[in-house]
Amino acid sequence: MKIAVKIFGRYKDITGKETIQLDIMDGNTLQDVVNAFVKQYPAAEKDKSRMMVTKNNMFASFDTTVAKEDEITLAPPVVSGG
Amino acid sequence: MEIDRYRRQILVKEIGQKGQKLLASKHAILIGGGGLGSNSANLLIRMGIESIDIIDYDTIDKTNLHRTAVFSEQDVGKSKALVLQERLQSVNTDVQVKGINKKVTSKNIKSLVQLADVIIDGTDNIPLRLLINETAIKHKIPWVYAGVYETVGMVMAILPKKTACFQCITPNIPDSKTQEIPVLGSLPATIAAIQCNETIKVLLGKQPAGLLIYDVWNQYFDILDVKRNPCCPICGKK
Ligand SMILES: [Zn+2]
Repeated sequence: MKIAVKIFGRYKDITGKETIQLDIMDGNTLQDVVNAFVKQYPAAEKDKSRMMVTKNNMFASFDTTVAKEDEITLAPPVVSGG
Repeated sequence: MEIDRYRRQILVKEIGQKGQKLLASKHAILIGGGGLGSNSANLLIRMGIESIDIIDYDTIDKTNLHRTAVFSEQDVGKSKALVLQERLQSVNTDVQVKGINKKVTSKNIKSLVQLADVIIDGTDNIPLRLLINETAIKHKIPWVYAGVYETVGMVMAILPKKTACFQCITPNIPDSKTQEIPVLGSLPATIAAIQCNETIKVLLGKQPAGLLIYDVWNQYFDILDVKRNPCCPICGKK
């Protein structure tokens, strides 16, 4: 199935878009969404394990399952310098 | 409080005399006096609060100077907290400025922050932020996260049990390797200013904005409006 994913920060630069379509399977998790994203846009590969992912406006762990109607966003990892 | 020095700020209708007086009754705790912290302390003390404790156990290094406020070359080797206290106290004698040259740990954090109306994040690592978050949520103290990396900065004001907390936004915890973090020199000042805006709003009872993301190089200013995670181990119901 195709899901619409809203993206933030430099991912807009990487993709040239604000919303992208990703192909995932029924019952897939957010980890699969992240995997599909970095496969399509390898420039985001280095963020893979730490990406900020929300499902229906809530940050969620990678093992959360995804349904077609879910609103998913991807943003670069939280930054920690001071 | 000498009111006239704030005349131009009082003219801002969102602040007014009432807001200025309210600010003058607030106690802030700043943890970390580096790139973010030195800039935040500088701004908050100028804008007028009752008092601020600046906590940092580190000394000033010449590699700090490209992104910090207040410090100069002759300060290299001195305590960040104590130099900030000395310099910034003379900026505004209405504000009680106290430098605390101490490392924040899980053992002492409660006693350091318990009287705070707000905690301001000037730290440089995730584990310390998670400790601040846990303590702030437990003791119902608002705190304002800020962080920088390369050309990206983020800010989020956290109201315990009202907004998402730092744990809510980091379920996929980044690795906590300590390494030298690359930072554009002008970025901490920018992000600290946004952090102070959010801090003032928190202190005056205005709802904060969510997670703000500013990317200098790619010119994006995004706001992620996020809800609390009901399963969050720190602020959730479970
Ligand atoms: Zn939480």
